[in-house]
Amino acid sequence: MEDLTKEFVAESREGLERMEVCLTELEQRHGDSELVGEIFRVVHTIKGTTGFLGFARLQTLAHAGESLLAALRDGRVQVTSELISGLLELRDGLQAIVEIIETRGSEGERRSDDDRELIAWMKELETGIAGRGAHSTPAAQSRDVGQSVPAHVAGAAENGVAKTSGTAEPDRTLRIEVEELDRMMNLVGDLVLTRNRMLQCQPGDSTYPEQVRRLNTVTAELRESVMRARMQPVGHIFAKFPRMVRDLAQRCGRKVRIEFEGQDTALDKSLLEAVRDPLTHAVRNAIDHGIEPEAERVRAGKPIEGVVRLKAYQQNGSVVIEVSDDGAGIATERVLGKAIERGLVTTEAAAMMTEREALQLIFIPGFSTAKEVTSVSGRGVGMDVVRAKVEEAGGRVEIESKAGKGTTLRLRVPLTLAIIPALVVECARQSFALPQAQLEELVYVPASEAASKIERMGSAELYPLRDRLLPLVRLGHVLQIEGSIPATRDLYIAVLEPEGRRFGLVVDGLRAPEEIVVKPLPTGLKDIEVYSGATVLSNGALAMILDTAAVAERGGFRAEAAEERNAEATRGSAGAEHEQTMIELESAMALYEGAQQQGDAFVRIAVPLSAVERIATVPLSDVEYAGTKPVLQYSGEVIPLEDEGDLLHELKGTVNAAATVLICRTGEGRRVGVTVRQVMDVCAGEFLPVDAAVCASPLARIKNRVTMVRNGFASALEGMT
Amino acid sequence: MSADPRPIQQKNEDTVQLCSVKADGGMYGVEASAVREVLGHALPQRVPLAPAHIAGVLTYRGDVLEAVSLRNVLGLQPAREDRVLVLEDSAGERFGLMVDSVGGIVTAPESARESNPATLEARCGAIFNGVYRREEGLMVRLNMEMLRPAELARSAVFSSSMQAEGR
Repeated sequence: MEDLTKEFVAESREGLERMEVCLTELEQRHGDSELVGEIFRVVHTIKGTTGFLGFARLQTLAHAGESLLAALRDGRVQVTSELISGLLELRDGLQAIVEIIETRGSEGERRSDDDRELIAWMKELETGIAGRGAHSTPAAQSRDVGQSVPAHVAGAAENGVAKTSGTAEPDRTLRIEVEELDRMMNLVGDLVLTRNRMLQCQPGDSTYPEQVRRLNTVTAELRESVMRARMQPVGHIFAKFPRMVRDLAQRCGRKVRIEFEGQDTALDKSLLEAVRDPLTHAVRNAIDHGIEPEAERVRAGKPIEGVVRLKAYQQNGSVVIEVSDDGAGIATERVLGKAIERGLVTTEAAAMMTEREALQLIFIPGFSTAKEVTSVSGRGVGMDVVRAKVEEAGGRVEIESKAGKGTTLRLRVPLTLAIIPALVVECARQSFALPQAQLEELVYVPASEAASKIERMGSAELYPLRDRLLPLVRLGHVLQIEGSIPATRDLYIAVLEPEGRRFGLVVDGLRAPEEIVVKPLPTGLKDIEVYSGATVLSNGALAMILDTAAVAERGGFRAEAAEERNAEATRGSAGAEHEQTMIELESAMALYEGAQQQGDAFVRIAVPLSAVERIATVPLSDVEYAGTKPVLQYSGEVIPLEDEGDLLHELKGTVNAAATVLICRTGEGRRVGVTVRQVMDVCAGEFLPVDAAVCASPLARIKNRVTMVRNGFASALEGMT
Repeated sequence: MSADPRPIQQKNEDTVQLCSVKADGGMYGVEASAVREVLGHALPQRVPLAPAHIAGVLTYRGDVLEAVSLRNVLGLQPAREDRVLVLEDSAGERFGLMVDSVGGIVTAPESARESNPATLEARCGAIFNGVYRREEGLMVRLNMEMLRPAELARSAVFSSSMQAEGR
């Protein structure tokens, strides 16, 4: 395409975007002559330039629009809702042609009937004989849906992913002030000068340190300058929402007003593009699912007109964009009901969830609370996509909702994408970068504790972190680079929570955190999936940036197991195992060695896994006595220790002086600690019918051996089925 | 004229400038026009889970490039290759080619090129683009476009070797 045409396309796009904003504003403020002037100028400029470039079709359409706008400007025509619809339609028509020009370089011939119809409409509006029904608003809308005005809202809903008119393709041009560019050029000049002087430096030159310092400041300034040039106000993406809200509200039969705050908040250009789709989706959701129909609003004592508020602000090095509505809010019971129905959580897990946790369920892939598929809300594409997209850009999504009051969705994204703080970790003597944004905390496990603290359940490894069992993923396993690293060495666990799946990534070592420059991966390496980019570290070495969600995936995580918490942590870990070793939870047993001797081995006893909350290693000094009974303080609660066979006494003499305690929940819901010699395994078991006369406790067949099941916990198991 | 295929100043359109490289004793030629730069002692960073023909990644002018190991692609004994040719394909995409050593630029007349022998195994057939006889021995002309990482990943010939070595 010629440069001139390219420039025309960019200019027209910008103008048409402005026109859209002005039109929706004009609908609110009928008499604003400045707005009319602005709209007139846009159409006029397009008409003028096209005549010059020779796009006849575009010129004819723009001409029709211009004469209608001239009438409006001169007060011969009044602003009506229909006029606005007509002008928006004109805008879309112009945009469609501009887009054809952009992709093909010429305006094309097809759909000229569209133009003729549009032009006729403009004439009708101008002469004031409109409103005879031929082009009333509903008709205009059926045009929208039926015909192919580019990527319109209806079309976007069909695609599932949010796209709106004129922004289907991310904008690839950026406007920059000449002054800023001059500043950059000066800095580059400085950089070259500094380099020249450094090249001339002799070994041991006394000015060398000074040159290095100079280089440092120039680089930093240049970087900042380039970053600044990439920053754009979020208002740029807000601009298209008024139109979208207008169209959607009309289609859903609701009255909705959109309000903005903090449009000037600046965000890196690439991030702005990254949040565009999620934000569109969020606004669409707010109107379709959030704001109630008019009758319902009246019943709830709310104003008929619903409000969707978009608010942007900076907070600790990140930009927060909030989408809030004053609609019905999200009913947690319905969320839970749906999640259970879809098999995303178990009934028990659902019963124990807090409201906050339940809300998080809407982010699980395959979840959608819409009672039916409407043309506005997507088909099966839901909040999980919003979250995935935002996390891809290094951000996070939070949701808050009060039933009856409304919902707030918060997108939190870093200021810039190009440079992010990261933690450099080591594995098999190679460095990898972990984005700090996804890092929750770091845990150091000294070599002496590595063996005893990390619990095994089948093939899954778990680490007790405060009141939860944290499933572990070893980076070396995932990357298949684990060499001959001795088992006895210090370990570090990076606690990560990508897409709501909390897990610990086990690495060999940590290096200092660094601000890294993210570089895109070469094409051939994108298929590996565990890397999101590459970077050059301060020591000059290249390091791959880990995509934590993909690492979790490779580590054997399954989405369903992810959201289960607290008491479910044990089960979550079962989900972390590979499919073939999946244990039927209903009959899963934790097998341990008791205190008593049985032949030459210790007696084996089982506890239903569902009753086990945590496997803890407790130093004997932490065991306190209430009278003669041993007790343990556990998450703010005093729990009794069942010490069969006086194991605590026996352990007193040992080197570690620590006991392994199974913290269990009894059938009545109380917590008790059971001291055990050693947890042997977690495996499937089958309950056997028992005659009370033979044995007081229930029996199960585990690994083909009859094993005693500890009394008191079986009811927890029965409650499950 | 003589049968000596060595550079004879002929008409420009009939000659091609090749950059000669060595891998495991064999001599190969890469179109000099595609070579952006020769880096010495550049050790690419290994990438776990990457396909076997990718020796690693390296940075060049701010971009991260894949480095293809010529020895691996040709199925030769793996050994330390410490020269990297930075190549640029017709689409402007760059990648590194790891070789044992880099010789000079050879001007080869098109007429002296002999086509691939019919007995050549399929593995090399796609990559070799004829051969020149020279005093020091044969110089095989490499088809640069077929060495691009994306191309290597696509061609089924290498996926089998990848699986064997990637495990």
